[in-house]
Amino acid sequence: MSRWRYVLKRLALSIPVVFSVITFLFLVLRLGPLDPVAARLGQQAQGADVQRLRENLGLDEPLWVQFQDYIVETLTFSGESWVVRNGAEVREMMFEVAGPTIWLGAWAIVLPLFIGLPLGFYAGLNPNTPSDIIANVSGIIWRSMPNFWLAVLALAFLRSTNGGDGPFGFNWYTTGPQTQSAVGTPTLNFATIDDIFGIPMLTGMDWSAFFVDLKLILPAAIILGSSSMAAELRLGRTAVLENVNSNYVETAKAKGLKGRTIVWKHVFRNALIPIIPIVTNEAFILIGGSVIMEQIFNINGLGRMYFRAIQTADVPLAGAIVFLFTVIIISLNILQDILYTIVDPRVGYDQ
Amino acid sequence: MSMETVGQDSDTDETPLIDVRNLQTAFFTEKETIRAVDGVSMDIDSGETVGVVGESGSGKSVTARSIMGLVEAPGKVLEGSSIRFHQLETVRDYADRFSGHTVDLTELRGEHDPQELLGRIQTEVTAETFGRERRDEITLTDILAAGFGDEMGITDEDDCVFVTERNGDSPQDITAGFIEVTRLDGERQRQMRGGRIGMVFQDPLTSLNPVFTVGNQIKEALNLHRDLSGEEATREAVELLEAVGIPDAGRRVNEYPHQFSGGMRQRAVIAMALACEPELLICDEPTTALDVTIQAQILELLAQIQEERDIGIMFITHDMGVIAEVSDKVNVMYAGEVIEQADVYSLFENPKHPYTRGLLRSIPGTQSGERLETIEGNVPTPTESASDCRFAPRCPEAFDACEVVHPSHVEVGEEGDDHTAACLLYPEEMPETRRVNVHREATSDDRRGDSA
Repeated sequence: MSRWRYVLKRLALSIPVVFSVITFLFLVLRLGPLDPVAARLGQQAQGADVQRLRENLGLDEPLWVQFQDYIVETLTFSGESWVVRNGAEVREMMFEVAGPTIWLGAWAIVLPLFIGLPLGFYAGLNPNTPSDIIANVSGIIWRSMPNFWLAVLALAFLRSTNGGDGPFGFNWYTTGPQTQSAVGTPTLNFATIDDIFGIPMLTGMDWSAFFVDLKLILPAAIILGSSSMAAELRLGRTAVLENVNSNYVETAKAKGLKGRTIVWKHVFRNALIPIIPIVTNEAFILIGGSVIMEQIFNINGLGRMYFRAIQTADVPLAGAIVFLFTVIIISLNILQDILYTIVDPRVGYDQ
Repeated sequence: MSMETVGQDSDTDETPLIDVRNLQTAFFTEKETIRAVDGVSMDIDSGETVGVVGESGSGKSVTARSIMGLVEAPGKVLEGSSIRFHQLETVRDYADRFSGHTVDLTELRGEHDPQELLGRIQTEVTAETFGRERRDEITLTDILAAGFGDEMGITDEDDCVFVTERNGDSPQDITAGFIEVTRLDGERQRQMRGGRIGMVFQDPLTSLNPVFTVGNQIKEALNLHRDLSGEEATREAVELLEAVGIPDAGRRVNEYPHQFSGGMRQRAVIAMALACEPELLICDEPTTALDVTIQAQILELLAQIQEERDIGIMFITHDMGVIAEVSDKVNVMYAGEVIEQADVYSLFENPKHPYTRGLLRSIPGTQSGERLETIEGNVPTPTESASDCRFAPRCPEAFDACEVVHPSHVEVGEEGDDHTAACLLYPEEMPETRRVNVHREATSDDRRGDSA
């Protein structure tokens, strides 16, 4: 009961947050130097064309009327794109490109979770051994390299392996499922994911297509998740180390519990507590990162569309996407709080 | 199982429940070897509370950890140490379940001569190594239990059950024997921990896992050692919580540690330690983190538990007041050694060792002048085996010989009351040169080559 009341309270408190975010975006786009009319007709356009378009888009109305329309359209996803795809429904446009972004985001969360966390736990259970040092040092190096730089390097390397020119005859194009082009070539059409991953799911999986899509997204996902992976590795290590040396582990040993039981039952559960906010926080970074990653890897996703909408002052489209991102982040925050109370009984909803 | 069997056990009159002999635990660091426990001997009977007292760093906790087998790398219990767990029922049980790790001394006695074996030991050993006064008192049991049998091929490295007397071949016919705690490993170690020897730690606030309910953590022990699970285990856990005086135990059993107060948590930890009906309970400063009223309650609880279950308690503390209240016998530790051993009345009425006297004088209210008296300086970290008295630099009564002769334990009390102290001031009736000689001989006369 109190859990639901807490969620409701959090939702109510998030209304001002959503409102300020979309208002801020509106102000920046409408009062800033960007002009959607110029973006559509070109800088040289003049006279009647411009005037007609301005009227068409409603830019001649008083600002508060424009703002009112914008808020309503954004919250109901009912706007129409001004520039990016003239006149198309924002809802449909977003729906079309959401697939690749979700696909990329999911792998960018799952991969670090299943690589970084186990590595970190392993390092924490074997502190100061060579494997711990290797894991730790590579974690630091991995985390220090910025996403966009790593992405460019990785792309250059993968492209260079075409025709078996990579080290030891490595060829990214023929490794695993055969692909025509390396990740990020403009011909990539990620919209096919929906066809493979969505509809045939009911009748069965097309595994070869699944692996093709996985391979295409893999470099981007690894690089996008790289900093989370390193963060989870390092935090997992510290959390385990801290708990392994704690008094309750001593008590558990004195009880005669097996080492394995102590680690799996007592240590891991406690080590998860500091990991939860890290994982959810990294998810925020993924949203920002996906904008850059999709641009570099040429993935036709939400992030890329958002980038273009901002560039061209496509207010209805940008507003809708920002609204979606805000909603995702707020839900993640609430989810994090709920997870906290499940994992750590000391955290409650009372004052 | 504890109460009746202890009564039937004809052996308990002579042999203690647990017998620690020449326990040496060292920590090997890159810089030096720290001899945290250096030749500690003590024994504990069922139904008896033995206090271990000393300043921080005197090796009290490491002694307890060595008994529990909780000393971890870089720490190690050294060869020559022996901790014998004599409870007959446990010995029979172990001999039954781990027959491959049982050494039958009744057979081996015919085959080996202890004096001859002594000559074959590679390292330097003295009678003191085996907790004996003279070299010819050393028995085969002593040599094998201390771990010297491994290198001679008589025992295996993981042999841990030693049978000294038996009427027949079956494990139930064993009439005397012991489990050598220092040689336990793996499953045998875990059965002993918690199952036969329980431990209560210093800080109740952190010694329970915060993310599991108190009941869950008690049931874990019940499940492990008594094969109870489900409803049955819950009922037993509730009973245990009631037994340690937690009100409304039926509801409390499903609560988390943070919902308990400090004193209640310590009660829960005690309940957990009692869950498997141990024969020996080691309490490592269990009341240090609690306020005085709660401390009194916990001490009362321990006394009551001891009366009901007839368990042996090893009580570690640095608080002389607590020692006076709970213990029957007291071991005063300093820098890894026991320096005075006596029953509680003799110790408080008639302390012999200058260190013990210093400790008693530093209890507020007992000093002679205005200011509280203290012992100057700190406990040294023992890094080498002692060739002097480790307390000498802080001792008000030290003389020249204290720096070159390591004192051994001598009788200091009335005839037969087992009051001993390791100090060159004793035996009191002798003149100084003879006293020093007594100690010098006790430690050097038995060195190999001299008497063999």
